[in-house]
Amino acid sequence: MVVEVVAAHKAQGVRRETRQHLLLSALVAALLLAIPVAAGMGAAHLPLRLLAESAGGIRQLTPDEHEILFSIRLPRILAAILVGSGLSVSGLLFQGLFRNPLADPYVIGSSGGALLGASLGVFLLPAVSIAGFGTTALLAFAGAAGAIALVYWLACVDGKTPVVALLLAGFAVSTMLSYSSYFLEVMDNGFGSGMHVLSAWLHGTIVQPGWDQVAIVAAMIAVGYAGSIPLARKLNTLALGEEYAMNLGVSVQRTRIAVILIGSVLTAAAVALGGLISFTGLIVPHILRMILGPDHARLLPATALGGALFLLVADTAARTVIAPAELPVGVLTAFIGGPFFLYLLRKARKEVLL
Amino acid sequence: MTPLLEFSHVGFGYGKRTLFSDLDAEVFADDCIALVGPNGVGKTTLLRLGTGTLAPARGDVKLNLRSLCSLKQREIARSIAFVPQNVEVSFPFTVEQFVEQGRTPFLGLFGGLDAEDRAAVERALELTDTTSLRTRVFNQLSGGERQRVKVALGLAQQPQLLLLDEPMQNLDIGRQFEMVDLIRRLRREGIAILASMHDLGMIEGVFSSVWLLTPDEAMRQGTPREILHPQVLEDAFNCPPRHRPRLVEHTRKNMEIAI
Repeated sequence: MVVEVVAAHKAQGVRRETRQHLLLSALVAALLLAIPVAAGMGAAHLPLRLLAESAGGIRQLTPDEHEILFSIRLPRILAAILVGSGLSVSGLLFQGLFRNPLADPYVIGSSGGALLGASLGVFLLPAVSIAGFGTTALLAFAGAAGAIALVYWLACVDGKTPVVALLLAGFAVSTMLSYSSYFLEVMDNGFGSGMHVLSAWLHGTIVQPGWDQVAIVAAMIAVGYAGSIPLARKLNTLALGEEYAMNLGVSVQRTRIAVILIGSVLTAAAVALGGLISFTGLIVPHILRMILGPDHARLLPATALGGALFLLVADTAARTVIAPAELPVGVLTAFIGGPFFLYLLRKARKEVLL
Repeated sequence: MTPLLEFSHVGFGYGKRTLFSDLDAEVFADDCIALVGPNGVGKTTLLRLGTGTLAPARGDVKLNLRSLCSLKQREIARSIAFVPQNVEVSFPFTVEQFVEQGRTPFLGLFGGLDAEDRAAVERALELTDTTSLRTRVFNQLSGGERQRVKVALGLAQQPQLLLLDEPMQNLDIGRQFEMVDLIRRLRREGIAILASMHDLGMIEGVFSSVWLLTPDEAMRQGTPREILHPQVLEDAFNCPPRHRPRLVEHTRKNMEIAI
C-alpha cells in the first residue's frame, strides 16, 4: 500500500518535473531562435540564410555586415537578454520577499534607486571607461539596495506588506528618486557630458552598449543568479510566514537582507543598461507562476529564461516598429505591463490575497 | 529516564508584565500533555519558549539536556515541531508543497528533497489522512483540513515532540473528534505532545496529563481528573460563582462524551 502510494506519487513528481523540463526546453529553443531573427532585423536586413551560411563558413560577411552584426546587433541583443533576465529574477525575489505578487523592481522603487545611483555615476565619471561604468554600476547597486530597504521599512507591518502600503511607499519613493534623476538630467544637458544617457535611461531605452559594458553586466547577472539559487527555497518557507520560517530554522532577517542585496545586484545590472523598464519583473514571473505553480526554486530558471526572451522580443519590436525612429522599450513594456498590473491588482483585491 | 524537554526555573515576561517567574516542568517521551489556562496567561508564549524562538529571561529550556540557546534553530527543528494557530500562505502552494516545507531543517543550501525526505512527507500525509488533499491549494482548504495539513507539516519534520497551539480552535464538533483521533494516533506513533487547549471537554481520555497556567500562581500539573475539577477550574478561570452549577455540568458532561 505504502509502496503503491509512493510509486504513484513518484509518477506525479515525474510529471511535474517533466512539465518544468518541457517548459525550460521550450524557452531555450525559443531564445535560440529569437537571437538570429532579432540579429537580422533592423535598418540593414540580414536574412537568416545569410547568417546561417556565414556561421557555416560557406560565405564571408562583408565588413559592413560584420560591423553591424558584431558591434551593433549582438551587443544589443545580449543587453536585452541580460536586462530582461535581471529584471525578471529580481522581480521574483522581491515578490517572495514582500510576500506579494505585485512587487516589481520598478513598482517598489528599486529601479528608481538604481537609476539615481547610476545617474550620479554618469554625472561624476564618464560612463564609457570600464572604471567609469563599474562605478556607475556600483552606485546603481547602492541606490537600488537603499531604495528597497526604505520601501520595505515603510511598508512592512508584522512581517507582511499590505498591498496598499507597498504600492504607496513604492510610489512615493520611486517618484522622488526618478525626479531627482530628472534634476540630474537637466544639469547634465546644461553643462555635462552631453551623452544624453540619462534621458535614455529615464525613458527605458537600451542604449547601444559596448562589449565591455555587456561583459560587466553579464558578470553581475551571473553573480545575482547564483546568489538566488539558495534563496529560492528559503522564499518558499518564508511564504508560510515569519513564525513558520523561524521554527523551521530559516534565519528570517538574514534571508531578507540577502534577498535585498541579491535583488539589488540584478536590478542595478539591468538599469545600468536599460534604465527604467517597467513591469517586466511583474509579468514574467506571474505568467510562469500560472504554469509552474508558486515554488520559487522551480520558477527561478524559467524566470531567467522567460525574462530574457520577453525583453529580447520587446526590444526588437521597439527598435523596428517605427523605424527609422526607435521606441524606448520601456514605453512598450509600460503599454503591455500597465493593464496587466491593473488586472492583477483587481484580482488581488477580489481574492483578498493579502 | 531523562526528560525530552525541560523548563527549569524559567522566567519570562513582555515589558513589565511578567508571565512566568519560576516555571519548572518536564516533558517525557511518552507524554501527551494538555496546556490549559485563561486567555492571555501565556500558553502560546510557553510553547514558543519550547521551540527556542523565544528565549527565557531567566532560567533555561533544555532539549535532551542541552540548552536550546546553545542549539541552532535548524537542530531544534529536527526534534521539535511547532504547529501554530494561524497561517497565511502568500502564494497558492499545494498541500504537498506546504508539507514539504517540513523538510527544510534537513536540507542543505543546494539540492532538493531526496528519497528519505519524500518518504517522510508521504508518511506525514498518510498519518494525518491528507494524502487525498495533496494537489489542493492550501489557502482553499476548510478549517479542519488546514489543521490536519499543518500537523502533517510538523510530522514531516519527524519530531520527537509536537507542540500544538490550539489544535481544536475553530473546528466543528466532528472535526474536533477527528483531531482527537489524530492526537491518539500520534501518541501510538511514540510522538510526545504538548498542546494548548481551549476546550476542556476534549481533554479527558486523550491527554495523559494537564498543565494548568493561572495568572500570578505557579503552574499546576496533574492528571486530567485532578485538574479538570470544577473547584480548580472555577478558581483558575475566575468564573462568576453563580455559573458554578453550569461549570460542574459542563465538565461532567464532556467527560462522559470523551469516555
